[in-house]
Amino acid sequence: MPSHPLRVAVVCSSNQNRSMEAHSILSKRGFEVRSFGTGTHVKLPGPAPDKPNVYDFKTTYEQMYNDLVRKDKELYTQNGILHMLDRNKRIKSKPERFQQCKDKFDLVVTCEERVYDQVLEDLNSREQETMQPVHVINVDIQDNHEEATLGAFLICELCQCIQHTDDMENEIDELLQEFEDKSNRPFLHTVCFY
Amino acid sequence: MDISSKGDDTVVDITTSEKVVELLNQASLISTDEKLTTLKQVQELIINKDPSLLDNFLDEIIAFQTDKSIEVKKFVIGFIEEACKRDNELLVRLIANLNMLLKDESVNVVKKAILTLTQLYKVTLQWLVRSKTLSEMQEACWDLITQMKGEVLALLDSDNDGVRTHSIKFTESLIITLSPRTPDSDVPKRQEGDISLDKVPKDHSYIHYGTLCEEGKSALEKLLKFMVHPAISSINLTTALGSLATIARQRPMFMSEVVQAYETLHANLPPTLAKSQVSSVRKNLKLHLVAVLKHPCSVEFQGQISILLLDLGMPQTEITRYTPAPREPRKRPRYEQYTEGKKVKMEPVLEDDEDKEEPAPLAAPKPVAVPAAQSALDLTAEFLRPLLTPENVANLVLISMVYLPDVMPASFQATYTPVESAGTDAQIKHLARLMATQMTAAGIGPGLEQSKAKEDEALKEEQNKEDSDGKDILIKRKAPPVMLGQAISVVGGYPEKPSTAEAPAAPKRLPEPILPSAQTKLMGASGRKKVFRLSDVVQPLSDSQNEKLTSSAVKRILHSEKEIAQSGMSHIRVKLLSRLVTQFEGMMKEDVLQFILEDIRSRSDLAFSLLYQEYNTYLSQLPSGLLDSYDQCLFTLLSGLQEKPEQRDGLFTKLVLEAPIITESALEVIRRYCEDESRVYLGMTTLKELIVKRPSRQFQYLHVLLDLSSHEKEKVRTTALAFLKRMYEKDHLRDYIEKFALNYLQLLVHPNPPSLLFGADKDTEVAAPWTEETVRQCLFLYLSLLPLNHRLVHELASVYTEAIADIKRSVLRAIEQPIRGMGMNSPELLLLVENCPKGAETLVTRCLHILTDKVPPSPELVERVRDLYHKRVPDVRFLIPVINGLEKNEVIQALPKLIKLNPIVVKEVFNRLLGTQHSEGSSSVAPLTPGDLLIALHNIDSVKCDMKSIIKATNLCFAEKNVYTSEVLAVVMQQLMEQNPLPMLLMRTVIQSLTMYPRLGGFVMNILSRLIVKQVWKYPKVWEGFVKCCQRTKPQSYSVLLQLPPAQLTSVFERCPEMRAPLLQHVLSFTPHQQAHIPSSIMAVLEAHKKPEPSPVEKEMEHPPVIEETHFAVQKEVEMPVQQEPVVIKDDEEPMEQGESEPVILEETGESISQVDSERDIDTPPPPPETPEESMEESHPETSDQEPVKEAESRVPSSLTVFKTQ
Repeated sequence: MPSHPLRVAVVCSSNQNRSMEAHSILSKRGFEVRSFGTGTHVKLPGPAPDKPNVYDFKTTYEQMYNDLVRKDKELYTQNGILHMLDRNKRIKSKPERFQQCKDKFDLVVTCEERVYDQVLEDLNSREQETMQPVHVINVDIQDNHEEATLGAFLICELCQCIQHTDDMENEIDELLQEFEDKSNRPFLHTVCFY
Repeated sequence: MDISSKGDDTVVDITTSEKVVELLNQASLISTDEKLTTLKQVQELIINKDPSLLDNFLDEIIAFQTDKSIEVKKFVIGFIEEACKRDNELLVRLIANLNMLLKDESVNVVKKAILTLTQLYKVTLQWLVRSKTLSEMQEACWDLITQMKGEVLALLDSDNDGVRTHSIKFTESLIITLSPRTPDSDVPKRQEGDISLDKVPKDHSYIHYGTLCEEGKSALEKLLKFMVHPAISSINLTTALGSLATIARQRPMFMSEVVQAYETLHANLPPTLAKSQVSSVRKNLKLHLVAVLKHPCSVEFQGQISILLLDLGMPQTEITRYTPAPREPRKRPRYEQYTEGKKVKMEPVLEDDEDKEEPAPLAAPKPVAVPAAQSALDLTAEFLRPLLTPENVANLVLISMVYLPDVMPASFQATYTPVESAGTDAQIKHLARLMATQMTAAGIGPGLEQSKAKEDEALKEEQNKEDSDGKDILIKRKAPPVMLGQAISVVGGYPEKPSTAEAPAAPKRLPEPILPSAQTKLMGASGRKKVFRLSDVVQPLSDSQNEKLTSSAVKRILHSEKEIAQSGMSHIRVKLLSRLVTQFEGMMKEDVLQFILEDIRSRSDLAFSLLYQEYNTYLSQLPSGLLDSYDQCLFTLLSGLQEKPEQRDGLFTKLVLEAPIITESALEVIRRYCEDESRVYLGMTTLKELIVKRPSRQFQYLHVLLDLSSHEKEKVRTTALAFLKRMYEKDHLRDYIEKFALNYLQLLVHPNPPSLLFGADKDTEVAAPWTEETVRQCLFLYLSLLPLNHRLVHELASVYTEAIADIKRSVLRAIEQPIRGMGMNSPELLLLVENCPKGAETLVTRCLHILTDKVPPSPELVERVRDLYHKRVPDVRFLIPVINGLEKNEVIQALPKLIKLNPIVVKEVFNRLLGTQHSEGSSSVAPLTPGDLLIALHNIDSVKCDMKSIIKATNLCFAEKNVYTSEVLAVVMQQLMEQNPLPMLLMRTVIQSLTMYPRLGGFVMNILSRLIVKQVWKYPKVWEGFVKCCQRTKPQSYSVLLQLPPAQLTSVFERCPEMRAPLLQHVLSFTPHQQAHIPSSIMAVLEAHKKPEPSPVEKEMEHPPVIEETHFAVQKEVEMPVQQEPVVIKDDEEPMEQGESEPVILEETGESISQVDSERDIDTPPPPPETPEESMEESHPETSDQEPVKEAESRVPSSLTVFKTQ
């Protein structure tokens, strides 16, 4: 078991569904966790696939919630968006962008390959200073409520296993292989340095 | 003002300092988490707030490096870094502490130390280069840090992935520091001020530019070599890829090596990577290639990079987007840039100097403009290119088809992209390069041969150069000749000359760590030792060393589990290990066993192999061989498994069952396993398997199980018993189990429990008394076998007769379950009843009770008991359990004896007889009805039983209100009344029935009237009761009283004078016509109020004459109750007292009746005597209907005088 609690970041595109679901579960299980999005904007489904609701990262969940209630309460209740925003605003006030965060983590879990690439690009473009390693793992999760929940549990299990290793860096490789076999999905995994 | 502000300052100073002291004191006492917070406060105070305090408290903080907590150690490392950055001078004092922490046993501490060293190496170099003064301390500090650098580089071969990762990053930083920065270096802003080789002066007294340059290059070589290791982990590979990109961007002079390394890697991805790892690595490769491509100096590698990127699946357009526009100086070879850069930045004098000193190595590569490795690859590629004709290629493909693996490797699958530009010139060139990469890696090809030749040449020249270099140093160092040897020893890269001669002088110079206690000197001594090790190496190894080496060799095999597993040779490793370990004595065996136990599930094959090997060794030395070693092995494994908290896979069982021999100690472990409540089932299953499958020693194993059958833990015991019961069915085990059980049973004969029962550890000669537990211990097995083999019951009887009272009691308590299990049809049990050994009567009675507790006795059982009772043991208690199986007359016969028993027993007898005991009472047909019983009680001959017992027995009957309903009682009274002579207790029963059921009043009046007919006054006891009854039932009884003859009425008034007036009143209230029916003699008695009342004594005196008068034939019998009179009266009082609890009921009913009367009076005024008749009809139509009516018809003309029979 590592001597300090694992500092975890969960990252998806808009910091709404997948990362927040994982954030919720991980924090309930006692992890020191934060969540982020990597997109330039926060996008939520709109009345049609080509008409998403777009916000910037400064908008609070509360504001989005009120905005959507105003626009079409029934639609957004029915597709679960309001419920999700309601959950989110109880976790933190607004979405955060990964690229803006200068805090250090031990583990960054991304929810799709595109996000993983963006995280890697960002981490590699930062100037190295302390050379402290950060492990980045991608777990592909489709962006819907059910998959988000399933994915969050997988992430949580993964984090718990990592937290319980004696020497995370020495065992993570093998652990991920086991998880790949078990969950039957590939994990991209790399290490970056602060 | 000045003064005051000064004062303030000091105050602040004092408080800061005091605060630090306080915090430090706290820190040494509190838990880790708080300690860290406190220490961080201290760090903030003395590093940022008031650095002047840093020096004061340095030692105190460093003392925490011996703390147990990893986090605290890591804090100390962080502190060292911060402190040294703040005050470089502290490096001299702290670097040795960092060195200690670098060798910490926790990898997390080591990793943190590496990170810090990465920073401090630069800091140290910068400080020393800038420092104007030369001090021995500084030089020593540099030596140590150089040594540490070497150690961290060596950690590239560490076992631990994370440590290797950190070591790679250190290497990266080292390479950048130890190479010159050039104008085209892409330097991150933060590292702008960092030291690099170009800032190192060439005339520094102990920091040598050339050496550092070489060290930098060799570090790069190391890194490149590390990267091509076939079993490199994906994380290490990723790290190294990133490091190379950083190096290429910051030091473009190395770009060619970097790009070539990328190329090689791309063509030769390590086979050990899993599919997803391959994609991760390729993603990284792409990312870093793009980063390198973006650098302006990538121009001459653009071709190679873009082919790689294309291969990695990046579209051409994107590649073009990342490609920088060609710049002016692109044609220039890199080495020119290198030198030119230096020229610009460095002092020209030094430049010249270097040129002079190192002409050969620089001159040689210059014409080619590429380093040797690159040229080899290039040469081979050039050589191959014209050979790749379509025909040759087709042949190559055909030939290699044979070597294709059956399954497509993951890495190939992931990396394969269709060849887009097949056959074009560019593609042929690429193919040639790919092949050249492979060939060069394999060590073949013309290019390699050529470059080898060149390298040899270069090497020779290098040696020359070194010589001159050395000379140069000699010359330079002439000023302080004492330092000469030391200076050389510092240079880790130099292999031969330096060490031997001057080595002893070195230790002095190494900085000593700050240690919290007096250990400082000790450490100094050990530091001295270190140097002597060099010469030790030459000497023959001592035994201990030998052993150490062997065991570390074994350890390496042991711990290379994963690597070997990947190569699929695990079985060989297992075999090797078990052979090695069994052949050599010593610690190894324990290590291996320990290793197995750490993860026994996946290492079970090793465990078994080891075990068999041990056994094999034993067999091979058979006549004299000892099992000790095997025993120890098996014992350790089993104990290890037993101590593990949880395991589901039955490994323990497997090990036990597959072990060639179960030794005594192993059996002991199995036993312990069985005693563990959570695993008792698994343990005993294993034991059972052993018993079944190892017949040669089955009794030994069986004995363990038998022992456990009297275990103090219930779960263990019951499980053992369950197993034994099943085994008892097997013929060959039966005898042994039975014998064991009987042996235990026999122990009960002893006056004190034998030591056997307490386990070996307790001294039992001290005569401990038998306790319930110890008795039960002896009985558990026996009693569970009993239902399986009824014959055993006789053994119990014989032991029982001999045992002491305490044991008897315990036995009686314990046998219930098994006896019930046997059932009353068991022939053996019947035989026991029949024989009933002397002394075992209580046992037999208990058995009978148990058997008939829930079910009625079977005729066979009744027969046996009856026999026993009549022929051998006339104890009436035997009859109780089977009482319901007896004939009616038998019961009546036994009744007098039965009711004389202990009240509790009597109660039980009645319960059985009245059927109030069994829940399914209906199934047992009692020989007596409740009414029969009560009548039988009344008829008991008072010679055979005292009245007191009889009264108590009748009271028991009355207590059963559910059974003795008013109907039953009415029948009983009716029957009793008809008997001749009247039973003595008749009136008592009548009064009691009336008390219980007031609505029987009418019926009782009827009885009373009829008693008058039977001349009740002739039975003094009954007569007494009669009067009492009348007294109680007035005014209802008035009509009865009026039926009495005058003499008897007088007798009534003598007994109860207060009755007369109300009765007279009653008569006077009659109509004259009615009054006319009252005989005058009666009226005379009623009106004789002036007659003096007889004294109570006279009243008493009157009785005997009455009895005399009656002249009963059974006079003698009647005398008995008279004699007993005081007793009877006393007893009689009991029900009265009891009755007192219910007077309210009595009165209430009386009132209600009178109310009814008064209501009737309003309607039609019928005479009061009518009322009882009517109310009686209501309650007892069937019993009371006939006779009164008949009598009324026959004798009385007036309907009003129904009871007027006389």
